[in-house]
Amino acid sequence: MTPPSEPKAFAPREVRGAPSIPTSAFLKQRYLDAPLMVDIEYIRHLTDSHRHTTGMETLERRAEDHAHALERLTPVIHAQDTLAANKTRFIRGAVPYANYAAGPFLKELRSQEQDAQQKLTEQGTGGGIARTREQAAREGYCVFSGKFLISPQDLEEFSAICAYWETKCLMAEGEKLWKKALPQARFLEDGWAIGLYTAPHEPCPEGRLILDFEMAASRGYASIIEELEGRIASCPPSSADDPRLHFWRAARRALQGGLRFAENYAHEAARQARIERDAARRQELEAMARTCLQVPALPPRNFREAMQSFWFTYLLGHLEGSHLGYSPGRLDQLLYPYYAQDPDLRFDAAVALLEELFVKMTQIEYIASLSWQGLGHGNLYQNLILGGLDGDGRPADNELSLAILQAQINMQMTQPTLSVWYDDSLSQRFLMKAVDCVKTGVGYPAFFNQKTYVRHEQAVSGLPTATILSRAAIGGCTEPVLQGMSYGVVQAGFVNHGKLLDLALNDGVDPMTGVRMFPSRPLTSYEDTEASYIDKMHTAVRTWQQYWNHVMQAHRATVPLIFCSVFVNDCVARGRCMDDGGAILNRTPTTLSSGLVNVANSLAAVRKLCCEDRICSFADLRQAVAQNWRGLDALRRKALDAPKWGNDDDAVDSIFLRLFDEYCRWVEGQVNYLGEPYDPSMLAISTPVPFGKACAAFPDGRLAGEPLADGVTSPFPGTDTHGPTAVIRSSSKVDHSRIRGGLLNLKFHPSALRGENGSRNLLALIKTYFDKPGFHIQFNVVDSDMLRDAQAHPERYRDLVVRVAGFSAYWVEMSRALQDQVIWRTEHGL
Amino acid sequence: MGSNAMAVGLIFDIQHYAVHDGPGIRTLIFFKGCPLACAWCSNPESQACTPELRHDPARCAHCLSCAKICSAVIGDAPGLLRIDRARCGHCESWPCLEACPRGALLKVGQRISVDDVMSRITADKAFYDNSGGGVTFSGGEPFAQPEFLADLLARCRTSGIRAAVETCGYAAMPDIARLEPLIDLFLYDLKIIDPQRHRQWTGRDNAPILENLRFLAGRCAEKIVLRVPLIPGGTDGEANLAAIAEFSRALGLSRVELLAYHALGAGKYEGLGRIYRMPTEDSWHGADQPTQALRIFKAAGLTGTTDATPAAGS
Repeated sequence: MTPPSEPKAFAPREVRGAPSIPTSAFLKQRYLDAPLMVDIEYIRHLTDSHRHTTGMETLERRAEDHAHALERLTPVIHAQDTLAANKTRFIRGAVPYANYAAGPFLKELRSQEQDAQQKLTEQGTGGGIARTREQAAREGYCVFSGKFLISPQDLEEFSAICAYWETKCLMAEGEKLWKKALPQARFLEDGWAIGLYTAPHEPCPEGRLILDFEMAASRGYASIIEELEGRIASCPPSSADDPRLHFWRAARRALQGGLRFAENYAHEAARQARIERDAARRQELEAMARTCLQVPALPPRNFREAMQSFWFTYLLGHLEGSHLGYSPGRLDQLLYPYYAQDPDLRFDAAVALLEELFVKMTQIEYIASLSWQGLGHGNLYQNLILGGLDGDGRPADNELSLAILQAQINMQMTQPTLSVWYDDSLSQRFLMKAVDCVKTGVGYPAFFNQKTYVRHEQAVSGLPTATILSRAAIGGCTEPVLQGMSYGVVQAGFVNHGKLLDLALNDGVDPMTGVRMFPSRPLTSYEDTEASYIDKMHTAVRTWQQYWNHVMQAHRATVPLIFCSVFVNDCVARGRCMDDGGAILNRTPTTLSSGLVNVANSLAAVRKLCCEDRICSFADLRQAVAQNWRGLDALRRKALDAPKWGNDDDAVDSIFLRLFDEYCRWVEGQVNYLGEPYDPSMLAISTPVPFGKACAAFPDGRLAGEPLADGVTSPFPGTDTHGPTAVIRSSSKVDHSRIRGGLLNLKFHPSALRGENGSRNLLALIKTYFDKPGFHIQFNVVDSDMLRDAQAHPERYRDLVVRVAGFSAYWVEMSRALQDQVIWRTEHGL
Repeated sequence: MGSNAMAVGLIFDIQHYAVHDGPGIRTLIFFKGCPLACAWCSNPESQACTPELRHDPARCAHCLSCAKICSAVIGDAPGLLRIDRARCGHCESWPCLEACPRGALLKVGQRISVDDVMSRITADKAFYDNSGGGVTFSGGEPFAQPEFLADLLARCRTSGIRAAVETCGYAAMPDIARLEPLIDLFLYDLKIIDPQRHRQWTGRDNAPILENLRFLAGRCAEKIVLRVPLIPGGTDGEANLAAIAEFSRALGLSRVELLAYHALGAGKYEGLGRIYRMPTEDSWHGADQPTQALRIFKAAGLTGTTDATPAAGS
């Protein structure tokens, strides 16, 4: 597949790749042409089992249900696949996890009105989504959840499944808890309605989880089952109610289910081989059958088996939960020993196999509430991080790191998103290759500063540096975790700082809906405004955290992760699943927020206009904002000219830092369900768009409904007038080691990075930021004019991928509002 | 001579993360005021040595708030705004800028102290150090404000920041001689060898330019990168390019950068009440023209680069 040449009027992307072999091209095109499907097979079998396991101990029941389903999934090997196993039977398929949240599905099924959140969050309509709708009309499918196809029979069956889970699912059980126990339940519900929070997260609470794929592969399930047998046998008969026993039995069952799943693929591959006429394909299928009998039961003997072993464990964990941010972690480290010791494997063959893997990862879709589909834009945030330092502090980039970069340069799939643990000691060859990948315009890899994360983790967990270095990875967008060691169910919902500002400026009433959220507290001065904002932030954050603790409790009771826990240290040794504190690191539940830049800008504008320059009174300014600046162009211009974040201006940067510190301090003041303090974090995904849509005009000159600033320390579009180095100088004032996460987007015109010198300059920019030390930076390198053209002519840009927040997405499948936001970001280097 | 009092200069822009004018990551300081008036100049606001008013029609709402305040701004007809340039620019306070609710009137050029420029330059020192970059004084013509330039160069030297100067070469030789030791790189524009045609296109004789280049080459040929803009019908003739190549070879210069023609500055002419007389098509010449031109220089033994965008897909 040759990439179409770009229209001449636009600065071309400097690096354009193409699939390395015809099979990869075929797989990619097949993906691009496929509609999105709902596959109810897993939930059907899981529900069947659940109907018959009443009375079983919770953990064992959960494992039984999952294993029961795994054993019955149809093994589907599509044409030209060489890597076995898929999450669903379809090319682009999603599993509807009614056991997590049946409510939103039922709402859709009953065609109830969309709730307020859903009106705020748009999904895209192009690409595979358009194809879905065409096909529905043509072939009598139903469209479900906006963009998925489902057959009428399946829809009817799924309806019954949802009805079964309506009162039993995680969401229902959680509501029973928090609605009764939480005094601020009303505040929470109002908060959802007015856009103070992202929609309830129970439909997809799992993720930010990276299993110990190394342990899974190198030991093999058979040996782990043996260990579990030993542990079970060692329990005296009197300990029948020992909770550890339940976990070990559950774990054994989950692994057995996984083995059966792999065996089914072995049989299917052998069956297809028997009837295959093409000799070459027959050999491939026979090899696949042999591989599936070897792994994951036993350790891999070569690179291909290692890849297959990883993929089985990855999928089995993925099937168990409704994940967002479930990630492969440091795949270059995991697979390198097999690569290095495989005498028959060449670099090119590794690249080709990786190309297939990346198509497979992109083929996984998720279906949740419409709001979360919109927020994530269908992205699963599977983060693959390269390079970094190993446990001894030596640079860990290797040949396979290059192969992975090359495979994504060739394929430009939206999944997995690539990241780099940056360190000065990494090889130039690797770093330059990483910049090459950036220059394709896909927006990855993102660069992360491993040293900053080590400082954070040392401070909060006290783990040895060698452990942190060797296991550091990114789970999801931009949240660092220890792979195979961290509890994976974080609080993935967001608090909207912009809405808190709305409430502070409007005496506790939401200006968009008229809902009163706080008692009246008149403001008269700048200091009042800041203090009022902070008070409201306190309430909003604390309510959010306490609500989530109830959900975590319900999670333990309904959908504890058993299979995944086996591969998170030290669940097996401790005899506890992750939900019971089996993981070594339980400080991963984070409190997320976005929009702080607009708050800082607004407070700076209040101070500048009302206190320093005395251009208008505080009442005038509030009136101006209330009327969305209508007829007040001159005053709005003064507001826009007030100091803005991202220009290395202490007048505003100091406000941001103060609010940031207060947020971190406050977040840490609440313990999570597992008894550890919440970890402060900030990221964005697509929240700036729906959050901004819910907010009135701000004193910083922003109009009502406009998106908020993206990322965490990204400037508000158009207000960073001093170039990218000033953005970095502002951003580097923040102590990034205080938070688990952080995000800075920069957008460059392709001409600013052209050539080898352009690459070197970009690396120097990253190094300078990380010396300061920053934590994360990523780049969009696409001509904005080209993006405008892509809006006008989507048909010419089917495979254009751009960076949104912690993820990349196909341009044509993004909502118009999100497209506008990407175009709107200040472009440097013209 | 020397900086007995803190010099103040006139500049019209500062750009950070500039990567096309010298090695590494650089800060570009644009001096305002230029002895030449090249017909193709893409920074017409750089030519006058006084601040001037620029009108941005795209932002203008034609509310005439400005015209009510100042009689030098004339709202001729609906949708049109004219500035009487002879009378504009003589007041201290520029009340018209304040009057415009849309920010459609812009003052081009600010008087700025050496201290203030230096604080902008030194803010990015870490970026220069990590990339082999520094500061580039451009314009306009930096040598048109020699004391200001001298102070800045001296301060950069003390701060350990490498400095490049982009010059049209039309400057007083003593200034060049005096400041040369403080300059790490000259980006020296050479446009037309034929004196008659040079005068036609730039408004000035090229004798001082060639003379200064000869002088500099004798002192520090290794610090000079020649810059030749490829101007359709102006500089890009084969004879002219060959003459430049020969002149450079004879002086022992080794590096040349060919700058492809673009019309990005065309819009600014209107805002300054001037007329752009060059083609408004960016790449009206064939895409391979810069490469062709480069051959002429390579034949003369120079190493050359071009900033031309490679054809799409290549």
